[in-house]
Amino acid sequence: MKENKSILDLQNFNLHINEHHILKDIDISFYRKKVTAIMGPSGCGKSTLIRSMNRLNDLIPGVKFGGQMHLYKKNLLEMNPILVRRKVGMVFQRPNPFPTMSIYDNVLAGYYLNGIKLSKQEKEQIVMDSLQKAALWDEVKDNLHRKGTFLSGGQQQRLCIARALAMNPKILLLDEPTSALDPKATAKIEELIIELKTKVTIIMVTHNIGQASRISDLTAFLYLGELIEYDRTETIFTNQKHTRTEEYLTRKFG
Amino acid sequence: MIKAQTLQSRLIQDAFFKMAMGVLSSLLMLPLIFILFYIFSHGISAFSWEFFTQLPKPVGEMGGGVSNAIIGSLLLILISALVAIPLGVFIGVYLSESRQGRIPEITRLCIDTLQGIPSIVMGIIAYTWIVMPLGSFSVLSGGIALALMMLPIVTKSTEETLKLIPDSLKEAAFALGAPYHTTILKVILPSGKSGIISGILLGIARVSGETAPLLFTAFGNPFMSVNIFKSANSLPLLIFNYATSPYQDWQRLAWGASLLLVLFVLSLSILAKVVVKK
Amino acid sequence: MKTRKPIALVEVKEFLFKKLLLLSGLTAIALLVGLFFTLLFKSSLSIHKTGFSFLYQSTWDPVKEVFGAFPFLLGTMITSLLALIISIPFSFGLSIFLGEYLKEGIGRSILNGTLDLLAGIPSIIYGFWGLFVLVPVIRNFESSIGVTAHGVGILSSSIVLALMIIPYSASISREVISLVPSDLKEAALSLGATPFEVIIKVILPYAKSGIFAGVLMSFGRAISETMAVTMLIGNSNKIPTSVFSPANTLASVLANEFAEASEAVYLSSLIELALILFFVTAIFSFLGRLIIKKWMVAQ
Repeated sequence: MKENKSILDLQNFNLHINEHHILKDIDISFYRKKVTAIMGPSGCGKSTLIRSMNRLNDLIPGVKFGGQMHLYKKNLLEMNPILVRRKVGMVFQRPNPFPTMSIYDNVLAGYYLNGIKLSKQEKEQIVMDSLQKAALWDEVKDNLHRKGTFLSGGQQQRLCIARALAMNPKILLLDEPTSALDPKATAKIEELIIELKTKVTIIMVTHNIGQASRISDLTAFLYLGELIEYDRTETIFTNQKHTRTEEYLTRKFG
Repeated sequence: MIKAQTLQSRLIQDAFFKMAMGVLSSLLMLPLIFILFYIFSHGISAFSWEFFTQLPKPVGEMGGGVSNAIIGSLLLILISALVAIPLGVFIGVYLSESRQGRIPEITRLCIDTLQGIPSIVMGIIAYTWIVMPLGSFSVLSGGIALALMMLPIVTKSTEETLKLIPDSLKEAAFALGAPYHTTILKVILPSGKSGIISGILLGIARVSGETAPLLFTAFGNPFMSVNIFKSANSLPLLIFNYATSPYQDWQRLAWGASLLLVLFVLSLSILAKVVVKK
Repeated sequence: MKTRKPIALVEVKEFLFKKLLLLSGLTAIALLVGLFFTLLFKSSLSIHKTGFSFLYQSTWDPVKEVFGAFPFLLGTMITSLLALIISIPFSFGLSIFLGEYLKEGIGRSILNGTLDLLAGIPSIIYGFWGLFVLVPVIRNFESSIGVTAHGVGILSSSIVLALMIIPYSASISREVISLVPSDLKEAALSLGATPFEVIIKVILPYAKSGIFAGVLMSFGRAISETMAVTMLIGNSNKIPTSVFSPANTLASVLANEFAEASEAVYLSSLIELALILFFVTAIFSFLGRLIIKKWMVAQ
C-alpha cells in the first residue's frame, strides 16, 4: 500500500466517551489527492473517527482522546480546534446551509465567521471559484443573493461543499454526504467528488458500499471501533484479507 | 347488568356535550365584546389633538391631555427594555446552550419563579432597591421593576426558540473554524431572530399595561418630566388615579388613556404573532 | 486577503463569552435570592415584633400599630377560590371544545383570538371596566336580594378575576390535553366510543394530574393579581362575612397602603405581607410545574 505522500497520519489514536471505548488504537494514513472511504456497520465508530479529524468531537461532553494525529508535521490533537477546522473542511449528512444567509454569503460564511475581511473583488472571486468547483455555479449564478434554503437538497449539499472549499482546506471530510439525497442528486455529488480529488484530499464516511466502490481510491473497514482492514478499494472489494470485511461486503451485496 | 345504552342515546349525549362545551366557550366572547366596546365608545370621544399633546388640567378646568403619561410610559418601557432584553437574551442563550447541569437547572427554576412573582412585589423590591437608597420616587426605579417583569418572558422565549434550532447549524459553523462566540452571535441568534423578537414584543406588551409595580416607583405626577431620577406619570398610573377620582373630566381622560393603552398593547401582541409567522 | 486574527485572542474571547453566559445565568439566581432576602430582611422587624400571631391575628390597625394579616389571607383565599370556581367551567369547556371538537375553521380562530385578546388586556383596564360596568350591576343585584348594596366586594373582584385567569388556565389545560397520545384516542374511537366517551373515559383519566396542576397554577395566578382586585374589592380590613362583603387581599392592601406607610413597623409589616404573597405564589407555581413534570415523565 505504498502510495504517494501521506497527508494525515493517525498513530495509536484512542477515543473514549465517559467509560465507553469508542475508537481503539487506530493507525492509519491518508494520502494526498485521493478519495478514502471509511466503511463499517452502524455503531462501528466511523462517524466518530471522521469527526475526530476536525475536532468536532470536542463538543461531546465527557470525550477523551489520546494518541497522535499529524497533518504534515503538526499534531492536530494539540492544536486549537478552531485552527484545525480551518484547515480541515467538513460536509454533513444533511445539507445545512445557513438559513439566514444568501447563497453568496453562505459561500463566504467561513471568512465572515472568522472575522476575516475581504475586498469585494476577493469575495466575488472566491464565490465564483468555489461554486464552480462545487459544480453549482451555472445553476445559481443568477440567484446569488437569494436565500440558500430555496435550493433543492442536492443543490444545498453542493452549496455546503462550496462553503467548505471556499476556505481552501487541506482535507475535505464528507460524513455520509448523500444519505439524505435522492439517487439523481447522489449521482451528481459522486461525480463531483471524483472531480474534486484533483484539488483536495477527500475522506468520506459512507454506508453505501456501492458508493465506496465507485468513487474511492482507498477503503478502510472499521468494526467495533477497530480498524480491521485498509487497502486500495480494488483490493478490499476483490481480495479482502479479513473474514469480517468479507462478511460485511457480501451481506450487503447479497 | 345494567342495560347498555343504545347507540342513539349515546350519540345524543355526545351532541349535547359538544353543544354545552361550545356554548361555554362562546359565552366568553360576550365580556370581551362588552369590554372592548365600552372602552372604544368611551375612549374615542376623548381622542383629540389636545389629548395627545397637552398636560392634564387641574380640577375644574376643562380639556387637557395625557402627553406626560405617554412620554412617561415610553421612557419606562425604554429603560425596562434596555435592562431586560440583553440580560434576558443572554440567560436564554445560556439555558439553551447548557441543557444539563446543576447551575442551569437552578437558573431555570429561578426564572420560572421570577415569572410567577406578583407584580406588586416587584414594585416593593424596586422601592427598597432603588427608591430608598436614592431617596426619591423615580422613572429609573419603575423601569427596573418592569424589567424584572419582562426578564423571564424574554428569557423563556429565547430559550424555547433556540432549543428548536437544529444542532447541524452549529456544527456547520464550527466545521468552518468559527469560534464559539461568533457561532452563537452570528449564526444561532440570527436564526432564532423572529422568535426572540416576538418574545421581546410580548414582554413589552406585558409590562406596558402594568400598574402595580409603578405605584411606589414611578409614582406619577401631573407634570411633564423626562428626568429618570424623578417621578413621572405613565398611562396605567394615570388610568388608576383618574378612574378612581370623582371628576368626570378626569374620568374622560382615563377612558381615552385606556383606549390608547389597549390599542398599543393589542397591536404589540398582534405584531408578535405576525413576526413569528414569517 | 487580510491576516487572520491571532488565535490567542480568539481563545480569550471564547473564554470570556462562555463566562459571560455563565455570569448571566448566575445573575438570574442572584436576582431571586436577593429578592427573597430583601423581603425577609425588610420584614424582620415585623416578624420579631408580631411573630406567628401575624398570621392569625384578625385586626389590622396601623394607627394602633396592631398588625394581623388574617383578614387579608382570608380575603385572598376566598376571592381567588371563587374566581377559580367561576372560571373552571369556562376554561375546561374551552380546552375540550378547542382540543377535541373544533379542530379547524373560522370559529376556532375566533375563539383563539378571544382568548388572546382577553389575555392581552391589562389588569388596570379590567378594573376600570369592572368599576363602571360590573359594580352597578352587582349593586342592583345586591339590593334586589336584600343585602347591603356595596357593589364593590369579593363577588365583583372574583368575577373579573375569573375573566382574567380563564385564558391562562385554558392554555395550560389545552396543552395538557394535547399531550394525551393520539393513538389512545384512536384506539377508543375505533372500538366505537363517541367523542364524549373518549373525553370522559380516556382523556380525562389520563390527563387528570396535569389538569390539577393547571388548576394550582391558575390559583397562584389569581392570588398574585393586583390592580383589578384593588379597584373592585372595596378595601376593607375587616374579616369578610359573605361573598358580598368588601374585603382586601394581600396584593390589594399592599397597593393601597404601601405608599402611605411611614412608620418603620407599618412598612415592615406590609413587606411581610409581600413576603407571604411571594411564598404562596411561588409554592403554587412550583407545585404546578413539579406535578406536570412528574406527570410527563411518568407517562
